[in-house]
Formats: sequence, C-alpha cells, structure tokens
Amino acid sequence: MSLLIEHIKIHSPGGPLNNQTAIGIDQGLFVDPNRLQSPDRLDGKGQRLIPGLIDLRAHLREPGLEHKGTIGSETLAAVRGGITTVLAMPNTDPVIDSPAAVRLVLERAEKIGFCRVLPTAMLTLGGKGLQLSEMAALVDAGCVVLAQGSRPFGSQKIEYHALKYAKSLGVTVILDPEAPDFAGGCAHAGYVGTGLGLPLNSPLSEVLGLGTDLELIEATGVRAHLSRLTTATAVDRIREAKARGLPISCDVSLAHLLYTETALVNLDPVFHLERPLRTEADRKALINGLIDGTIDAIVTDHTPHESGAKLAPFPETETGMSIIEATLNLLLTLDQNDELPFDISLQAMTGNPAKLFQKPGFGQIAFGLSADCVLYDSTKPTHIDSSHWISAGHNSPIFGQELPGTITGVWVAGKQVQN
Amino acid sequence: MHGPAALQLTSEGRLKHLLTTEGLSKALITELLNTAESFLSSQGQPVKKAPLLRGKTVVNLFFENSTRTRTTFDIAAHRLSADVVTLDIRTSSASKGETLFDTLKNLEAMQADLFVVRHSAGGAPFFIANRVTPNIAVINAGDGTHAHPTQALLDLMTIRKHKGDPANLSVAIVGDVKHSRVARSLIHGLRGMKCPDIRAIGPGTLLPGDLDHLGVRAFHRIDHGLAGVDVIVLLRLQKERMTSALLPSEREFFNLYGMTEDRLKYSRPGAIVMHPGPINRGVEISNEVADGPQAVILDQVTNGIAVRMAVMAMTISTQQDLVS
Repeated sequence: MSLLIEHIKIHSPGGPLNNQTAIGIDQGLFVDPNRLQSPDRLDGKGQRLIPGLIDLRAHLREPGLEHKGTIGSETLAAVRGGITTVLAMPNTDPVIDSPAAVRLVLERAEKIGFCRVLPTAMLTLGGKGLQLSEMAALVDAGCVVLAQGSRPFGSQKIEYHALKYAKSLGVTVILDPEAPDFAGGCAHAGYVGTGLGLPLNSPLSEVLGLGTDLELIEATGVRAHLSRLTTATAVDRIREAKARGLPISCDVSLAHLLYTETALVNLDPVFHLERPLRTEADRKALINGLIDGTIDAIVTDHTPHESGAKLAPFPETETGMSIIEATLNLLLTLDQNDELPFDISLQAMTGNPAKLFQKPGFGQIAFGLSADCVLYDSTKPTHIDSSHWISAGHNSPIFGQELPGTITGVWVAGKQVQN
Repeated sequence: MHGPAALQLTSEGRLKHLLTTEGLSKALITELLNTAESFLSSQGQPVKKAPLLRGKTVVNLFFENSTRTRTTFDIAAHRLSADVVTLDIRTSSASKGETLFDTLKNLEAMQADLFVVRHSAGGAPFFIANRVTPNIAVINAGDGTHAHPTQALLDLMTIRKHKGDPANLSVAIVGDVKHSRVARSLIHGLRGMKCPDIRAIGPGTLLPGDLDHLGVRAFHRIDHGLAGVDVIVLLRLQKERMTSALLPSEREFFNLYGMTEDRLKYSRPGAIVMHPGPINRGVEISNEVADGPQAVILDQVTNGIAVRMAVMAMTISTQQDLVS
C-alpha cells in the first residue's frame, strides 16, 4: 500500500526535496507524490519531515547482556528518538567476533527490532587485541564496519597489522583513540575531579592514543572512523590530519556536546562515562569541530544498564548513559540554546554517517531512496518521564525535563514503526 | 553548593553528616572546635566519660584499613557512652560479594544511629549518606583521595590552639598534596576559616594541576615556600610514589623537602610543625624536628579524639532534632 504524507515541510538540507510539502512512499521507497495511485493519505498538519537519524554507536546489549537491554527494547527506544539506523557495538557477552554472532544479531533485529540494525564486529578475536578476527567472513556475514569496542590492542604492532589487513580487504574500521598507559580514571583531570578526589583521566590518554592511530592509519591507508572525541586538542589533530588527506572521519557523543566535568559535582553515577566529560573549552571545541566540518558525526553512545550497575559510589559504578530515546529532542535543545544549528547536527546524524557505509541508500529524503523518515512537531515539547521510558536502561540524566520537539511518526523502509 | 558539601547540611545550615570540609562556614567550624575544646579537661586531655550518646549505636564501617583513625573514633564514641560496633568489611561481607548498598541496608535494619565510614572510593560516604534512611548520621573517616574532614578539623583545632585565628596565618602544606585527602580537606577548612595564605610545596609530580582553583599557591622550592609561614603541615609519603615513578627515592625527597632544623628557619619564629601521622623519620621529617619543641604532632592525636566526639555529638543531635 502506498502512502502520501502531505501538508508537511520536508527538512533535508542539501537534498533535492528540501522544503517540499508532500512526499510519497511506495514499496519501501520515497516516490514522487504525483505518481501515487489512490494512496493512503496522512495530513502532516504543517509538521516537519526529516530523514531518519543514523547512530554510529549504540549498545544494544544482545547477546548476553539482556539484563541491561535487548535489541527489542533498545531499537524501540532508538525509534522514539528519531533514529532509524543503529550501528550495534560489538562489546556484548560473548563479544561479536564470529560470523555466527553477526548473524544472531541480524536475526534478532529482524525478529524483534524496530529499526535497521547494522552489526559491527571485533577487529581482534574476543576483542582481546591479540589475534586478528576473521574479517572477511565477518563482512560476508553482514558486518558493515569492524571495531575494537574501546578495548585496547595488545600492542601498536598488532594494531598496525589489524589495520593493514582490514585495508587489504577494503574494510572500514572504527577506532577509539586511547593510550593504554593513560587509560582509566573516571573523571577528567581538572578541578572538579581533583576536588572530588576521583581517579583522574588525563586528556593525554586521548591525544597520545589518537597520535598512534593517525600514524598507523597513514602507514596502512585504511579507511578509519575515530569515535568519541572528547578534547579540543584531538579536534585540532583531526583537522590537521584531514588537511593532509588522511582517509578519516570522526564522531563525538551527545553527552560530550551537552555536558562538562561540572556535571560530576553531585557524584551522580549517570555521568560516569567511559570517556570522561571534559572542560567547557573542550565542549566548545567539539561543537566548533562539527560546525567547521572537522567532526563528521554525532553518536548517542547509548549504554543502557540495570539499576544495580549504577548503585555504588561513583568510581565503582559501570560506565555509560541511556540517552538514545531523546536523541532528536536533544539535537533540538542544542539548536534552541544557540549552540549547534540543527542543520549541522542533522547532517551529522544523517548524510555524514551514511557515507561511512559507502552505500548511499539512506540518510536523505530523495526519490528512490529507502523511506526512512521522522515526522515531528517542532512547536510541541516532550516531557521526559521515566515511567514512559522504553529503554531498559534508566541511567539517564534527563528525566523530568521538558525538551523541544515531539515525534509523531517514524518510518523505516516505508513501514511506520512509531506513531 | 553541590554534592557532599550540600548534603551534609540541613536547610538551616546545621550539620547532619560530616562528609567534607568544603563549604563549611567559619561559624560552623568555630562551633565544632569550641565543642571539641569543651570535651578537653583542664589538663588538655579528652574527658573520660560523657553521657551524650547513651543508648545510641555507632557503627564503624572500615572498607580500608586504618589503625589510628579507627581507634580514635572508637575511643570518642565510647567516651560519649555510645555502643560501638566495628566492622572490618574487608574481611566480611564485601569479600562474599555483597554490595555496599546491601551491606548498608542490613546495618540500617540493625537500628544504627551513626555510621563512620572509611572507603577507598572517593564519594563512598556521600553515596551512603544519600541512600540511608533519614536520621542516620554519616561521618567520613577518609574516602579515596577526596576528603578526611575530621583530620582537617583536628588540624584546625591544633592550629587555633597554638597560633590563634587562621585568618591571620600563613600555612604551608609540604609533600604529596596530589594524592592526599588530608591536604584537600585542610585546604577547604582553612579557606572556610578565611586563612589568607595557603601554600603547597612539592615537586610537580606530587602537586595537583589546579591549585589556583583551590586558592592555593604552588611552590617547588621549599625555601621559597616556607618563607614567613606560621604553620607547616607535612604529609605522609607513600612508598608507591616511588614505584609509580613519581619520585626517584625517599632520600631525594628528604634532601629536597624533608623538614630539618635548618629549613625550619625559613619559617616565622615559633612556627609549628604538624603531621597527620604516622611519620616517616628521615623522609618527611628529621628526628630533631620530630622530637623538637615546634612539633605538635602528638597534640594533634589528642585533639583528634575531642574533635571526633564533637562531630558525633553534633551530627546525632541534628538528626534527633530532624526527627522531632
């Protein structure tokens, strides 16, 4: 059955249908509304239609960590946040490092998922950083990129070999810059963490790790995506590396755009993240990196936990935040606060991440592309209420807040999954 | 105020827990110190028995080992006539996989009135105070590198007794400020008492990077740092600072920063020398200074009992008033 969504404003900057007022959906694709024959009609009542968001980093927790979340619960949460495509991180239990595990994720997503799930797998066996995984078989099984899931390589030489092998197969890799020597700590090494007596993490951990990654990317020529930058220095290094022509892209997490080290003053474990929140100057540099194009993508780094994981003194809690469910609202918040224009954040969660998969097919509203889109009322705020939270992880900092925008419809491949 | 500093006060600004010295007003610290002094006899020793906490149960929760602090809390509670239970958690429930939260709920069910908590994780006493049923007081006996507020209060009591109001004094803290909860709490306490000149002396590897933010001046040379100070606070140097390559050797530390009679001359005549103990002779301090007339280290220990009595009495009294 075909569908005509009319009386809308299409917001797909740079796309051929930007500012159009109607769109057709037929057989899973966007089509010219004039060519539909007796479609169902949906009156958009002046709302905005944007391409479905793409999240390059989320933890869906299956297999093995179902007490923290399932592909069912977390993809529905994603859809409620306006996300239609999720790149699932491989640090599950066991980790995703075999074709069977990749297929399991795909099958579970097919069966109980609400949005498109793209599996990633470990570059090394067991994610242990010692032996290469069967990269070709993993890609055959359906992996779009390979990652190391923020686990360290056993040595720089092993990382070099992993990247070189990936390059020879034409595989894109995701790296999480961190120097193992400087890793650890649960707070940025600044005045807040020092004052609270928390184990500290120096910006050097990221900057030194990034230095190694960039050298090895240059040496191997692998296409690499550097995930979750947190420091101003890293943004500078990426800018220089891109100017040198390195085949790289990078992302920043929503939390690092929204919060700084001062969020820790109440020792709320919700702000205990794998990469610590840093200074206001770092946050500003990350935002400017998005604006000037140095940073390509925004990720949710959605990490749902059971309540017990955060029920301990701050340094002893597990890391990560459950945030995917409010993604669009938070992008609109950054826009409303005059910090990050929505056109830029939208591009960073649609067109730019789509490029990583080297198969354009979504990330834009255009005839012939997969009908992944989100209809929302920009004039109506959403009250974030924990009792209506779908994600299994209630480790979220935004309960009780009123955030801009209300999503009224989400379509994945032409199928409405949320209304 | 946020976090521990906010949680420990009632809306009227009374002390219901003691988690940190950060944010304590001069009036409140003075009240605490006056109460502590009232527990000292005319000979300067803590009174042997007072009935203030009769029928109350104090639970010492030590997740990290400690002899001195635990003993002085024990003595303080006994002198206030409280029943005291001491749990060495390292050898009990925690090693059986019980979480801190569950341990806490169990102790709560046993009708404790006050928890004294020492823990290796910064913020653990705050976590406990945040989670316990109202009307149980929590006293931080040292958490990670965060805070050791009763130590800071006994230091302030000692300073006030020997040198007067900290608002007129220069205080230098020497050694491993970076890893010291004692130093952090003393700095906050001195700031609360409006001390105008707080200095930290040590090599770059042992000083935190953001002392400015704490209102502290950093010195790498001890002769510059000690010039004209009234109070010298030495910190204990842990052996692991050498194995983690922050310092070459104890000998080099002593040569650069050890408190000797010669170095004492840089300070103002009559300056006092303090140390939270236990001292390492020949590392932080020479025998001559340790046993000399300017050292007030044993006086600190005595004051520690009185201060802990005062903190227990005050927090329990606030909690009682909150109930009624």
